[in-house]
Amino acid sequence: MSLLLRSLSLSIAFAAFANGAAVDFSHQIVPIIREHCAECHTGDKKKGGLSMNDRKSLLDGGEDGAVIVSGQSAKSSLIAAVLSSDPDEQMPPKGKRVPAGQVALLKQWIDEGVVWDEGFAFKKPAYEPPLKPRKPELPAAVDGRMHPIDRIIDTYLAQKKLTRPQPLEDAVFARRVHLDLVGLLPQPEVLDKFLADKSPEKRAKLIESLLANDIGYAEHWLTFWNDLLRNDYSGTGFITGGRKQISKWLYESLVVNKPFDQFTRELIAPPGPDSRGYIDGIKWRGDVSAGQTVEIQFAQSVSQSFLGINMKCASCHDSFVDRWKLDEAYGLAAIYSSRPLDIARCDKATGKQAVASWLFPEIGQVDAKAAQPERLKQLAALMTSPQNGRFSRTIVNRLWQRMMGRGIVHPVDAMQTEPWSADLLDHLATQLFESGHDLRKVLAHIATSQAYQSKAQVIDAGEDDHGYVFAGPRAKRMTAEQFVDAVWTLTDAAPKKMDAPVLRGKVDKEAGKSVTLAGQWIWGDSAKGPTAPPAGEMIQLRKVFKIEGAIENVIGVITCDNEYTLFVNNRLVAQDDDWTSLEALALNDSLREGQNSITIIAKNAGRGPNAAGLYFEARVKHADGKEETIATDESWQWTSTVPSVKEGRLGAAAKKEDWRPAFVITKPVGSWVTKIKTEAPALLARGSIAQQPMVRAALVKSDFLMRTLGRPNRDQIVSTRPNDLTTLEAIDLANGQTLADALAKGAKKISARNEIDAKALATQLYRHALSRDPSPNELATTQELLGPKPTEQGVQDLLWAICMMPEFLMIR
Amino acid sequence: MDFTHPTQPEYIVRREFLKKLAAAGTAAWMTGEPQAIWAKTGEKVVQPKPKADACILLWMAGGMAAPDTFDPKGYLPFEKGLEVKRMLSTFPAIDTAVDGVKICQGLENIAKVMDRATLVRSAVQPDLGSILHSRHQYHWHTGYVPPQTVACPHIGAWMAKVLGPRNPVMPAFINIGQRLEGVGESEELKAFTTAGFFGSEYGPMNLPFPEEAAQSVRPPKGMDPGRFASRDKFFRKLVDQSPHRDYMSDYQQQSMLRSLDNAYRLLSSKEREAFDVTLEPKESYAKYDTGRFGRGCLLARRLIEAGARFVEVTTEYVPFLYWDTHKDGHETVAGLHKEIDMPISQLVRDLEAKGLLDRTLIVIASEFSRDAIIEGKPGSNASDQATFKVEKIEEAKHYGLHRHFTGGTSVVMFGGGVKKGFLYGQTADERPLVAVKNPIPVEDLHATIMTAMGISPKTQFEIESRPFYVTIDGKGKAVTDLFA
Repeated sequence: MSLLLRSLSLSIAFAAFANGAAVDFSHQIVPIIREHCAECHTGDKKKGGLSMNDRKSLLDGGEDGAVIVSGQSAKSSLIAAVLSSDPDEQMPPKGKRVPAGQVALLKQWIDEGVVWDEGFAFKKPAYEPPLKPRKPELPAAVDGRMHPIDRIIDTYLAQKKLTRPQPLEDAVFARRVHLDLVGLLPQPEVLDKFLADKSPEKRAKLIESLLANDIGYAEHWLTFWNDLLRNDYSGTGFITGGRKQISKWLYESLVVNKPFDQFTRELIAPPGPDSRGYIDGIKWRGDVSAGQTVEIQFAQSVSQSFLGINMKCASCHDSFVDRWKLDEAYGLAAIYSSRPLDIARCDKATGKQAVASWLFPEIGQVDAKAAQPERLKQLAALMTSPQNGRFSRTIVNRLWQRMMGRGIVHPVDAMQTEPWSADLLDHLATQLFESGHDLRKVLAHIATSQAYQSKAQVIDAGEDDHGYVFAGPRAKRMTAEQFVDAVWTLTDAAPKKMDAPVLRGKVDKEAGKSVTLAGQWIWGDSAKGPTAPPAGEMIQLRKVFKIEGAIENVIGVITCDNEYTLFVNNRLVAQDDDWTSLEALALNDSLREGQNSITIIAKNAGRGPNAAGLYFEARVKHADGKEETIATDESWQWTSTVPSVKEGRLGAAAKKEDWRPAFVITKPVGSWVTKIKTEAPALLARGSIAQQPMVRAALVKSDFLMRTLGRPNRDQIVSTRPNDLTTLEAIDLANGQTLADALAKGAKKISARNEIDAKALATQLYRHALSRDPSPNELATTQELLGPKPTEQGVQDLLWAICMMPEFLMIR
Repeated sequence: MDFTHPTQPEYIVRREFLKKLAAAGTAAWMTGEPQAIWAKTGEKVVQPKPKADACILLWMAGGMAAPDTFDPKGYLPFEKGLEVKRMLSTFPAIDTAVDGVKICQGLENIAKVMDRATLVRSAVQPDLGSILHSRHQYHWHTGYVPPQTVACPHIGAWMAKVLGPRNPVMPAFINIGQRLEGVGESEELKAFTTAGFFGSEYGPMNLPFPEEAAQSVRPPKGMDPGRFASRDKFFRKLVDQSPHRDYMSDYQQQSMLRSLDNAYRLLSSKEREAFDVTLEPKESYAKYDTGRFGRGCLLARRLIEAGARFVEVTTEYVPFLYWDTHKDGHETVAGLHKEIDMPISQLVRDLEAKGLLDRTLIVIASEFSRDAIIEGKPGSNASDQATFKVEKIEEAKHYGLHRHFTGGTSVVMFGGGVKKGFLYGQTADERPLVAVKNPIPVEDLHATIMTAMGISPKTQFEIESRPFYVTIDGKGKAVTDLFA
């Protein structure tokens, strides 16, 4: 499109905008000034003495006096200059003229009193963050404080003539580091052992052991990642199949401590369906505004999660608050888009088409002509490139914020902000890179510093009003999940069933030895012979069955030569086209007590007739401990009718008479059999481990209690949770049934141990909940509450009181 | 029962509250006075003088068909072989207390109080290409069409945030009648039943079952008031004795405890009786006892008397139930008429009798209307969602308005500064039944409600360095013709 045509369509859009309403400064005037005046009259440019940086400068005018008379466009020389065709007078002096529609807007704007956004100015931001990584030189250690973080912070404090925060006592450290790294209160035995340990290495050892707890670590950090990647087990979009979970992939990635660069690449350029949900976003039915298409969601999500860039302004128009422009947001969106993407400004077409591009061309660019999967791979590579310091700085800053209560750059999603210590930020980013993108190592690095192991800052109102200075970690409020986990730990009230469709724990080959497989390979009648099933044959296989009694966990395996799509109760659960990868399935959220159906659309591939077969086997673990097997066998049915799939749902079922008994393949292909034998037992054993650790709050759907405690609806990315306790939360804490039931259960259990006297009981509770012994005064108060022989009620009230104490609710 | 007692004007209650606050530190609930907020345009947004102090939204969830309620059109009774295209209304029109204004048969009691009402027949909604309850409900409740880049606050949360509670003990935003768990599309409902980025301090207190509302402000089940008080006493003592006290500033400590204080105050206050509908005199209770919605209206009245700021009462959204008539429309709506008619008229009469109607704005609204043929707007390509797509009515289940219609919807308002016995806007007499006079889009309807409550439509808060307005881009315009 020619420039002329482009500006024409722009001016039409503007004119339509202006219709009757007052001029909108930021959406209508700013772009005009940017386009025609900015080059010479904004920032440090003041041609003719005129600066348009802010309203006052503009009204002050230039060397020849005022250019604008507020309220009177006819008397404003700016308008005359814009309209003039005299080469000596006209503005802008060169280039194209300001279109009539825009001049009309300028006039209207002047007539309306030169309305200007409070605080807005056309100038370069005072700080522009560097892109490239930098390895800062470490200052010399002072007082034997060798840790790199402390060397940087000690220097920082010395320069600012500030005192070091005081070191933290062992017990408080133990509580903090447990909650920070695995999200749980320290068990009293663990605490006692730690306190008794005289080794100078004991803190480092504790940190190491906590981070070595793969499951504890994964199930705590799951909350952080679910928030940052807006993944959840229920929420908007799932109902119409417009959203997919990445839960299983995420859980496994955390358990195996997947390097963060690989982790990111698998999210941006998904190698399979399990991590696709992140880039596919949330698709609502019907029309959505241009700023909320799935392509734009992609641009916003990738920018926010990995770069700490807020692309929400720039997805609608050039941002007024940072450097990002509409074209850049669309360029990012176009990397994802599989259709030509028209650029819309404030929901109105501009007539321009987006060109796939990423935000920092100085380190490379995607090939706009490449196919979408290739473009995504290129973006993933650029994002995780060693040259992209923004990427590593963003994540280490988030980790620092989680551990220390406040970011080095703050807020954590505004990475364009100046850090309070660039050396510290760059040092941590370097650590991440040098550790092979090992997030646990970065956490260990932070946790082993004296900075982390010092007392929490005492904060007063308006503490940061005059700029932040480091004065120790800041106390954090427990997240909803930490609070609920802590209550469940104290009361043993955790549910037995989790909602997250994840395969808990790790694959254990040993445990697999006790598993005997029950399934058989099945197909339709074409497998009966004499020739093999035809290439491209597509059939439907199913089993309808009833599950009696409550379910605790369901784990399954499936593979199909060549392709399968699995539906449980008519909802799409999994699909794959590589029979050599045996898929493990978390079906706890799909199967239910009562009637169930498992339906598989299976497809044979190849050029001519070739062997085809399906294998499925699931273990249903009941709440009462019993186990049931559902596996492919002669009780399954098949039909050649294949229904349509819409919004993740299976279309109308085939007629009853179309279903025939499935054919059990008598001589399955040898490599099939080997595959199943070697891998399936260990996978299935994961579901039947008798002693699973407590189900964590992060693994269940959000409930009323967690929602009131700040667990967000994950329809948007949320990177920080509220730090304040609100009144509605407090009402729920004071009388909500969920919490009351948990405490009652705990009280019952505790008071059943009737050998315990009131003093011992209070001491035990204080140790577990607060990681310390009660003082004599506190003991006296608890005695008073409990009476000589603690009743269930008394114990319940004491439990409640302890759980409501700021000391309990805060991680300090 | 009258908590905001006439001999004790509100400012005294406020003063007492302020005294308590002085002890408890700054309260997030303390935003009682309308605050001038700087708009993006650099001009000071002047908050209009409120015409109402409280608002009750009576939500007809699922799409209330205007031609079967407040905007009767050509009526044809059920008969076999009736052509759907000839049928506009399935209820005949009846007279109301206002000359020349008719509404549908079945709403006889409401008809009698229409002389206190402003009836808008020209509310319109966008088509959105697919007429989904969840999206239109989200739009109506927040002013923004989903999806959005930030979690948008519900209009009740806006009132809670900008105006604060009327009575500091009472939650400002109360939501009655909607289950958020165990019903279809519950995630979509949760998405707008929230204070969004304002934070849960301004979020709804959800009371899905009016008859169980008392439970949510009572000490937990099985705990008598004595034990509740003693638990609180021990709690305070333990907090005082905790060495943790030394590691927190007064500010930190108090901001942690303030909310617990507020909660304790409500849970042990006299105001909590307002939540208990069984305390209502029998005769009065009976008038409201038509179902959950009716009892919800009673609860709303009691809560407004006790000082709640915004109360929503819904007939409840459950896909394909209540107003969401995809079949059996006539039959279902006849039942709904029975459920809403008496309670709504009684709510108006009771508030009037108690002298509260003038300062309480009641709004009856729905996410869109319905029609027997047209889905969305005329000419829309939205897919038709009626269960039975017939041209001639053969069975009773075909008789009703089974399509979602966004071209003309009725909204009824009572009290709080709106005209009495006033009709505004008009829809066509023949299909398409679109608003042909004075159409009011969602943002203007919201601007009207907000202006009546003393909130400028340009009111904005900053989130992620961007301004976020109570009406989209601050552009909603109040329909001042509706104001008395």
